[in-house]
Amino acid sequence: MLPPKESKGPLDPRTCLLLTILYAGLIASSNQNAWLLLELGLIVVSTVAAGEMKQYAQWLRPVAVMTASWFIISLLAFDLRTALTASLRLVALTSAFFLFFRTTTPQDLGNALVKSGLPYEIAFVLSTSMQFVPLISRKIRNILDAQRARGIPLKPGFAALRHYPALAAPLLIQAFQLGEELAVAMESRGFGRQGRTFRRNYRMRVVDWISLGVAVVLVGTLIIVQPT
Amino acid sequence: MTEPVVQTRNLYYRYRGGPPEWVLEDLNLEIEAGEYLLICGPSGSGKSTLCQALNGLIPQFYGGHLEGEVRVDGLDTVEHPVSELFAHVGIVFQNAEAQLFNSTVEGELAFGLESLGWPQGEINERVTEIADAVQITHLLRRNPHQLSGGEQKLVLIAAALAPRPPVLVLDEPYASLDPANVDRVRRALNEIHNRGTTVVVVEHRLENAVIDAERMVVLHQGRIVLEGLPEDVLARDITRFGLRPPAAVRVGKALNLGNTILSVESLIAATGSQSLPPDLFPAQQAKNQPKGKPLLEIRDVAFSFQEKPILRGVNFALHEGECLALVGANGSGKTTLIKHFNGLYKPDHGHVLVLGQDTRRAGTSALAHHVGLVFQNANDQFFKSTVKEEIEVGARTLGCYDEDWLRHLIALFHLQPLLDRSPHLLSGGEKKRVSFAAALAARPKILVFDEPTVGQDWPFRQALGDLLGQLQDQGRAVVLVTHDLDFAEQCADRWVLLAGGKIRADGSPDDVMNDTKAMRQANLKPTQSFRIRQALGKGAEIHVAP
Repeated sequence: MLPPKESKGPLDPRTCLLLTILYAGLIASSNQNAWLLLELGLIVVSTVAAGEMKQYAQWLRPVAVMTASWFIISLLAFDLRTALTASLRLVALTSAFFLFFRTTTPQDLGNALVKSGLPYEIAFVLSTSMQFVPLISRKIRNILDAQRARGIPLKPGFAALRHYPALAAPLLIQAFQLGEELAVAMESRGFGRQGRTFRRNYRMRVVDWISLGVAVVLVGTLIIVQPT
Repeated sequence: MTEPVVQTRNLYYRYRGGPPEWVLEDLNLEIEAGEYLLICGPSGSGKSTLCQALNGLIPQFYGGHLEGEVRVDGLDTVEHPVSELFAHVGIVFQNAEAQLFNSTVEGELAFGLESLGWPQGEINERVTEIADAVQITHLLRRNPHQLSGGEQKLVLIAAALAPRPPVLVLDEPYASLDPANVDRVRRALNEIHNRGTTVVVVEHRLENAVIDAERMVVLHQGRIVLEGLPEDVLARDITRFGLRPPAAVRVGKALNLGNTILSVESLIAATGSQSLPPDLFPAQQAKNQPKGKPLLEIRDVAFSFQEKPILRGVNFALHEGECLALVGANGSGKTTLIKHFNGLYKPDHGHVLVLGQDTRRAGTSALAHHVGLVFQNANDQFFKSTVKEEIEVGARTLGCYDEDWLRHLIALFHLQPLLDRSPHLLSGGEKKRVSFAAALAARPKILVFDEPTVGQDWPFRQALGDLLGQLQDQGRAVVLVTHDLDFAEQCADRWVLLAGGKIRADGSPDDVMNDTKAMRQANLKPTQSFRIRQALGKGAEIHVAP
């Protein structure tokens, strides 16, 4: 799946994060399948509006597998209605965060949080580690291929457990190497120097405060009025 | 006279915890402002160490023991922190992926300026300006990790140049790039140099670099052994320092043309109708060998990944004792194709037969008995604590451990002195040799090498060429996957040219390079030696060693 493009939309990344958390709160407190469907529907509409439908469809596939197993577990443990609610809630929750991460780059979020007082180094580590997730997953694929090519079975399953070091050792060592090279590259572009500026403005504007206010009132009301 | 922009005086350096020998020894180097300098030397000559000394990473980041002095743009690199020096010397290291840590190209270019505390308006102005200068404006909104290798290098060059340093240093900028991307990076560097920036390129593959550079320095065992105009340095014998002169230089010397000639074009202009002496291109031997029985058959194979077609209608067979080069630009589908040879990937359509067995009906473990695959990055496979265990583990898992054969492999790859060492602590070339031995441990009939020459110097390439010959003599079939056409021409008697997931040409290296349409589709350029043979063949008899 493609990582997000430059952040878009009129809202500050912090507003987007807070809105997502509020919405997640609403989803978590909903017990009615109809309400959950409605909440999920709203996310899908927003996803279409953000032009992320293709990515969403692609992302839904693994989520569907996860949800199916979740459904079966809940069905065995509880009843059909609970299983349906639990599965719907899972899809709605993950979809809300999907939309957030597709429309806000980790870097923008990190920089905006720095403006709110989070130390730059911490924000940077958070945002940069996200950036390297696809690279690490590509490395894992390469290691699996390299080991399987010489007969070491690393297909998922119990048989692979015995050969686990064949994946873990090269991965760890390369992660350390990558870490050192990254540190060198960052050092060579002035990371950690005092007096950093930002090329973009991260400012909570009126539109951000209004959006947040409206969302708090709406979510609050919905949580109160929805049937339990 | 103005002060040089880079100056090292009696520079000595050794790494912390490393061997007691100096990695850089009595190094005195002066680089004038506005110069285009090429620093070359084989692996282990101290080239990368010198790069890191120029922006203060050595000794500030790596520690170790440094004597003497390094001054860049008037600043002593020991007294001034790296976070200050980077505005005076921009550096682009080898591994692009590890240097791209922003989510957009725009963020990447702005990062250094943000570190320096530039005002917002100026940052955005400079980002636009530098992107335009390096011609990556169309990439500004993209994620750097999704760009091609050449584009990534251009982004790094722009990012390093953003704070307007007077000096730009690049450590092996052309390694792992295909010819089209090499040309893009070269054009950008020439443009930057024309605008007044001092450019320092560190390379051991000289063909392109010597044409662009104004001066050349040869490093050997941490010392400067030759220095001067590229023509003058190449007039001397550089092979004793583990470097191979470009084909144009070799032919020019063999024809006794007097002045050293750097490019194919000037060579052709200077020769007139002289004929080529025999033995100049020994790679042209061994053509049309009788073929043994087919070991691998690819029949009408198609394959898609994430709904994107990668391979389409691929057909060919590989025979006993054959050395076939699968050539193509980055992203042409080469690696995807070889992963079909041992069942890592199964074709969506068509069949892959290994010794007559369909890979759809066999697991990768079973196929690993017959097909040894050596991937580009040896670090992907090392997990044992010693080289010896690392070589044995595949054969043991497959249940075909053979002590005599392993002893033979250890001798063949000169691994005896390394057996008890950790594979992770070896040099790049040594790691490659271990991975070759590991791939051969199960005595496979087919051996596949994925980009074996990337980042490797001439002595290694020469040794690998000899080894491939030996494997063929043993009746094994070798597949060489590469965009390094010089090496492919030297070692393989048959080329299969892949572009856009399709085979565009299949034949002898000369037949393939003669097919201009296929070469254009594949975004590849014929080798220097082919172009020389073509040009001098017209009106002149070419003597090729029998």
